[in-house]
Amino acid sequence: MNAIETSRLTKRYGSVTALDGLNLEVEAGEVFGFLGQNGAGKTTTIDLLLDFIRPSEGHATILGYDVQTETDEVRERIGILPEGFDLWERSTGRRHVEFALEATDGGGDVDTLIERVGLTPPDAKRSVGEYSKGMKQRLAMAMALAGEPELLILDEPSSGLDPHGIRRMREIVREEAAAGTTVFFSSHQLEQVAAVCDRVGILNEGLLVATDSIEGLSSAAGVGNELVLEVDGPVSEGLEQLNGVVDVHTDNGELRVGYADPQAKAQIVHHVVDCGVTVQDFTIAEASLEELFEVYTNGDETGGVSA
Amino acid sequence: MRTATIARKDLEDVVRSRLIWAVFGLFVLLMGIIGIASASDGDSQITTEGLIGLFANLGAWLMVPVIGIMIGYMAIVGERQSGSLRILFGLGFTRRDVLTGKLLSRSMVIIIVTIASLLVMLVMAVFIADSFDLGLFAQFAALSILLAVMFTAIAVAASAITATRYRAMGAAIGAYVLFAMFWHPFAAGIHYLIVGELPAYEAPEWYFLLTRLNPLEAYNQVISVWTDQYVWGMIGWVTVVEDVSFEDANSLLLTERVSGELPFYLSDWFAGVIIILWVAVPIAIASWSFNRADLN
Repeated sequence: MNAIETSRLTKRYGSVTALDGLNLEVEAGEVFGFLGQNGAGKTTTIDLLLDFIRPSEGHATILGYDVQTETDEVRERIGILPEGFDLWERSTGRRHVEFALEATDGGGDVDTLIERVGLTPPDAKRSVGEYSKGMKQRLAMAMALAGEPELLILDEPSSGLDPHGIRRMREIVREEAAAGTTVFFSSHQLEQVAAVCDRVGILNEGLLVATDSIEGLSSAAGVGNELVLEVDGPVSEGLEQLNGVVDVHTDNGELRVGYADPQAKAQIVHHVVDCGVTVQDFTIAEASLEELFEVYTNGDETGGVSA
Repeated sequence: MRTATIARKDLEDVVRSRLIWAVFGLFVLLMGIIGIASASDGDSQITTEGLIGLFANLGAWLMVPVIGIMIGYMAIVGERQSGSLRILFGLGFTRRDVLTGKLLSRSMVIIIVTIASLLVMLVMAVFIADSFDLGLFAQFAALSILLAVMFTAIAVAASAITATRYRAMGAAIGAYVLFAMFWHPFAAGIHYLIVGELPAYEAPEWYFLLTRLNPLEAYNQVISVWTDQYVWGMIGWVTVVEDVSFEDANSLLLTERVSGELPFYLSDWFAGVIIILWVAVPIAIASWSFNRADLN
């Protein structure tokens, strides 16, 4: 059974289509990255899953339960960290977590949760009106974890967090994943998604344009890693026939060889040397996720790495 | 009990609102000034009836609606606009839990505030009234609490139906303005359209029903009967839109204007039913609307 399954899920506001026929399968136990720029439809998707808004077409299930007709079952099993929220300013942080535990009938411990998200006991005693954005984000994460949800939905979880906070958040995601929780991680920041996710879906202007592992997406998009060789002469034929090599071209006197398989690197160097060409230096250029993202969101699926 | 969990949490937050207690303090001060002014008014006897008449006007037509609306209008739309409604949903609460829980907690708050005001009034009454009727005061207190809950319920309903806090405030205040200012001329206008002239002293019974479908009017009429005196609304429309003389205000009592026995819909208890309907109907509409709405 999939943790999330959507079928032709569509949301229109008048003539604007916020989400267009989303077919998505998130497997139980995986960390799924949901990538897209602001306004791509990520929060719309989450709102539909939460029955916060109703679809114009299509339907969705969470852990096998229909999000519209079995809302109780769904909500008992999820934890959510939404994007852009305020909490109850006059209550203490601690009271927020207590409330979350009461609401979810979770046997969890308030102090453990507070400590887990990196809030200190004195922080927890303060009222949330005095909290910084990052502290609120940590607190909401603690609330999302209350009741040990089977599916954790995180919408831009790193916003407002400092580097320590981001590291803690990633550790939590990994810990949860190790414990078998499915994590749906929505973000416009590629490095956030790449750091923790097993698979990624790319959403652009309401359309899901790709779903795969980061590596799979890279090779499918032709956005791969390159070996950049500084050589003193032309290279004879045969490089492209090597196993794992996907692209060969010369740029500014540098020989750039794209490969999908990391083990191809040694063979490339050997081949060049065998051709009697001197290799003065070589570097590895890793594909940046921004480049990958550009390729998908511009609809230019045949593009390669630009120098 | 999810509803109780959310209601308790909400109650804690609202009771800590300084604004609500500041407005409450202001009104208590106002009540005190008026009470003392009327006490030092020399020779006339101060009775429980007199005090109730005085406070039914100021309290029910201004203080109770203002505080009731303040307590209720942000209940749901506030969570919706701040995004914390998503957190509530994530914690397992349904739309019904949210609406019911908020209605409960906000009703509790207005009940607490109204009881506090009534206690202040009770203390004043004991000190300044020449005679004091506790039974009558208790009846008055019960009806006033019901009216106060009604205004909060209407504001909570507005909060569930609308998408922004300003619209919620507008809708709730709009309902109050309708009751306090426009209902009576509207009713008279309908009488004019049907009968061809403004209502006279002995107007048809349906016209009196129409006027008392306004919960504030219903409240006034019951207080009038209980205290055996005509209780004025905030605006004395009766003398403007009806063709009546007001030299003897008590001649405007419903029992005087309707000959014979009052039909059931003009009886005291039916006024209570009307106020309860003003709780039930807006909440039913709100429930229907909130369950269907896109909440982003």
